[in-house]
Order: sequence, then C-alpha cells, then structure tokens
Amino acid sequence: MKINSYRDWYWHILLLLAVVIQLWPLLFMLSTSFKTMDQIFLSTLNPLPAKPVIDNYLYVLKNLPLVQYIVNTLLIASSITLAKIITSILAGFAFVYYEFSHKEKLFNTLLLTFFIPITVVMMPNYLLISKLGLLNTPWGVILPQLADGMGIFLMRQSMRNIPKPLLEAGRLENASPWVILTRIILPLIKPSVIAMGIVFFINSWNDYFWPLLILHDKPTYTLPLALQMFISAEGGSEWGIAMAVAMLTALPPLLLYLTCQRFIMNTFMQSGVKG
Amino acid sequence: MNRFTWQSALFLAPATITLLLFAYWPLLQDVWLSFHSWNMVSPTMKFVGLQNYLQLLSSDELIKILLNTVLYILVLVCVNFIFPYLLSFIIAHRLNRFSFFYRSALFIPSTVSLAVASILFLWILNPLAGPLNIILSAIGLESPRWFKESGLVIIVIGLIIGWKVFGYNLILLVAAMVDVPKELIEAARLENVSNWQLFRRIIVPMTSSTALYVFVITVVFGLQYVLVPVNMLTQGGPDQGSSNLVYIVYQYGFVFFQTGKASAFAILTMLIYALFLIVKTKVLDKKVHYEN
Repeated sequence: MKINSYRDWYWHILLLLAVVIQLWPLLFMLSTSFKTMDQIFLSTLNPLPAKPVIDNYLYVLKNLPLVQYIVNTLLIASSITLAKIITSILAGFAFVYYEFSHKEKLFNTLLLTFFIPITVVMMPNYLLISKLGLLNTPWGVILPQLADGMGIFLMRQSMRNIPKPLLEAGRLENASPWVILTRIILPLIKPSVIAMGIVFFINSWNDYFWPLLILHDKPTYTLPLALQMFISAEGGSEWGIAMAVAMLTALPPLLLYLTCQRFIMNTFMQSGVKG
Repeated sequence: MNRFTWQSALFLAPATITLLLFAYWPLLQDVWLSFHSWNMVSPTMKFVGLQNYLQLLSSDELIKILLNTVLYILVLVCVNFIFPYLLSFIIAHRLNRFSFFYRSALFIPSTVSLAVASILFLWILNPLAGPLNIILSAIGLESPRWFKESGLVIIVIGLIIGWKVFGYNLILLVAAMVDVPKELIEAARLENVSNWQLFRRIIVPMTSSTALYVFVITVVFGLQYVLVPVNMLTQGGPDQGSSNLVYIVYQYGFVFFQTGKASAFAILTMLIYALFLIVKTKVLDKKVHYEN
C-alpha cells in the first residue's frame, strides 16, 4: 500500500519551506555571532562568515560576569526541576495508590493551577517574596515554583498505566508505600520522569518574566535577563555580541533536546497529552 | 485500594501546599487588592470599593487593549493552531519518508527562550541594517518600522511567539494524527475521497480532543508569552499599541505602581480565562469525539 514515492514531492516542498522559516533565524543568530562588526553590516545575509572569529564570545567572557550568569541560571533551573519532579511524583503516587473522599476534586484543583495566568499571581507573590526578604536571591525565584499541576497530571497518568497486579504483589508482601513507590513504580516510569524533567529544565532555564520581577541586581541575573542589557532604545549596534550571548542562552536547551530527541518525542507520542 | 491515612497526606502535602500558597492564595489577595487604592510601598491602603473596576471599564484604554488582545490571539490561532493542524496531517499521513526529520527540525525553535527570540527578531527586523530590510529593499520594497507602528506591532509580536510555539503544538497534533488508523485512510483513498473530505470527515472527528487541548493552550499560554517580547522590545508602546490584557497588569503593577487597578485588570483576565475554560468544557466537549 505504498504511496508512490514521487507523488508527494509538493508536500516536501511545503514542509521544507516551513523548515527554512523555522531554522533560518537560528542559523542567522549562529553566523552573526561569529562575524566581525564589518562583516555583520557588509555581508549581512551571508550565512557563512568569510573568516569566522570568536571575538564576540571572548568579549562577553571578559566584560560580563558570564560565568556567574550561567551558574545562577543553572542553579535556579536545576533546583526547580528537581523540586517539581519530586513533588509531582509524590502527589501522583498519592492519587493512584490511595482512595479518599474528594480525590477527583483535589486533583482537578491542583491541575487547574496550570491555567492560572502569571499576571494573576505575580503581584501577591512578589509581595510575599519581598516580605520574606528573598528579593534578589535565587530562592525567591525558586520558591513559588516547587510544584507543577501538569507534572502531577503526567505522573498520575504514567502510574495508572502500570499493571495493577504488580502493585498488588508488593502490597501482599506487606511492603510499605514508600518501598512500593521507589522499588516497583519508579523503575517502571523512569522514561516519563526523565522526559518530564527535561521539559521542566528547558522551561525554567528559558524563564524570563518571574526572574525579572525578583532579580534586580546585575550579579544575580540569569542568562535570559542578561540579554535585556543589549537592547537600547535605538536598537543598538552590538549585534555580534548580543547574538553571542543569545547563542550561549539558547545552546544548553538545544543540545539537551538534540541529544534526547528520540526519547522526548516517543514520550510525547505515548503519553498523549489529552485535555 | 488503600484508605486515606496520615501517610497519604504526607505524599500530597508538598505539591498541595505550594500550589495553594502560590496559585490560589494570590488569586484571593488580588480580589482584596482590587478593592483598594495602594502604591505597593505606602504603609496604608485605602478602601475604594468598586472604583478601580469602574475606572477600568470606562477608560478609553480598555477598547484599545481588548482590540490588541483579540488581534494578537487571531494571529496565534492561525500560526499555532490552524497551520500546525494542517501540517500535522500531511506529516502523519501524506509522507513516506522524512517525517521524523520534519518533526524534529520544526520542533527546534520551541527550545529557544522567548528572551532569545525577542532579541533575535529585533535584529532580523531592524529597519536600517537588518537582514529582512536588505531582502525587502532588494525587491524594491521599503521596510516598515515593525515595532513602531500601531496595529502592526502586535501582529509582529504574535508572529515572533508563533515562530517559537509552532513546533511544540505541531508535535502534539502529530501524536494525535498518528493514532488515526492507517486502514481508515487507505479505505477512503480507495474510494477516491478528496483530501479535504478526508480531513473533514475522518481526521477532524478523530483528533478533536487533542485539537481542542492545543487550541486552549494556544490561547491561554499565548496570552502569557506575550509578556516577554512586549516588555523587552516595546514596553507596551507605541502609545499602548502593543499593550494588551496581560501586559497592562504588569504596567499598572510594576511601572505605574497602581496596585488596585493592576489587580482589577488581573481579575478581569482571570474571569475571561475562566469563562473561556467553562465554554470549552460545557459546549465544545459535547461535540468532541473522545477515543476512550
């Protein structure tokens, strides 16, 4: 039942066009970051720098506390990811393993937080963080993000797919819930946990708005916040340097995705996020 | 099943406490703040009743902001819902080869921070030296000042967000498309059903639950994503031309320090969200075909 291989050429043209639109800006960012100021303005469209230079990268390394920004971003993103994974697994487990009244109601209440917009929570949360004296600290960014409604949903979903007899077996041997969770369930849902973790990490690494409200002192900046410094009223002209910082910000999530993509795609495909 | 015990409460506590404290409690605080006049630092707060809401509803600003919001959402629905929906059908059912390549390649921009996307497109759309301007002038067109023209600016911002979110939504939709049995599509093909008929009669009904989900996140998250490019590139300008229902809350809260008005706008946003979600569950879900 093969469709004739040459009959679908027009679809390929359409899709290649989409690929070009999606990837060209990123290639452009990459090539600009390796160009000298002259090349940036004289051969703007040329995707291959005539003579690639790493001056822009050296400049930002020397003139910006870039390592500090990377450490800040890494600390915040990893803490949030780890915390969200743990709280989601624990809550997901409770929803699968225990029976209690208003279970569905509680679950929906937690899941619905996924839809509460940041603008609604930002002022009260900002006031609370400032009252706790956590402004300008990574903890102020991390604290409100220790749990995630969607994470709980995904963990409950994967745990539901575990065959019941496996859990029953553990229970018959009088294993404690903790042992059942760590010895039986976790090894089985490891792929979904890792895929979820990757998504959490990429999102927190990229986050701009909440850190913007909490971190005002330059040394506490994360990479996305540092990008703001390259935007001047008239658009600035230090494009090579700006693109170098943009590359460094974009690279970790990109590499994480490229190395784990088959894995992420499969989890996406199987878990079937269905409203 | 196991009965509820103090043990299960321990499992639930970390997530539940965090979400109640940082998602639901602020919602209540917003309601309270919206009835007061306050500048965020003054030790005293003045109760003003519904004044914030009345001012908000009678301001000229509101119409402009709602129009911008609607325009922005229309762009997003096209770029992040309709286009990926059509393309996901092609990727899942009209190709023999390379479908994995297309999926992975188109997904890549989704991993990029909106802060990166904003500065990148600021350079690409630079009206003097930017690459798009060079291309446009090569074919004899003049580049508009993308971020300075009212009406245009919010569309451009919609397209930047669209560029980032497109691939993510596409993957969700491809996942649903793949679940439509190949036999069904082959059968339709043998009977010479046109692509359009096939799409309408088989694909749409069988993928409607995921499609609905993608539609909802396109609107709900799209509205929040707008904060980043607007704040980085335009600060709501020119003349509130890129402000919208979501950014205005930030403007009143953290730029003008009118906490009461900001909260009133936040509550208005929340009401519109809630209405949207209720309509989604009550009306649309009935028409949706669920596989299980």
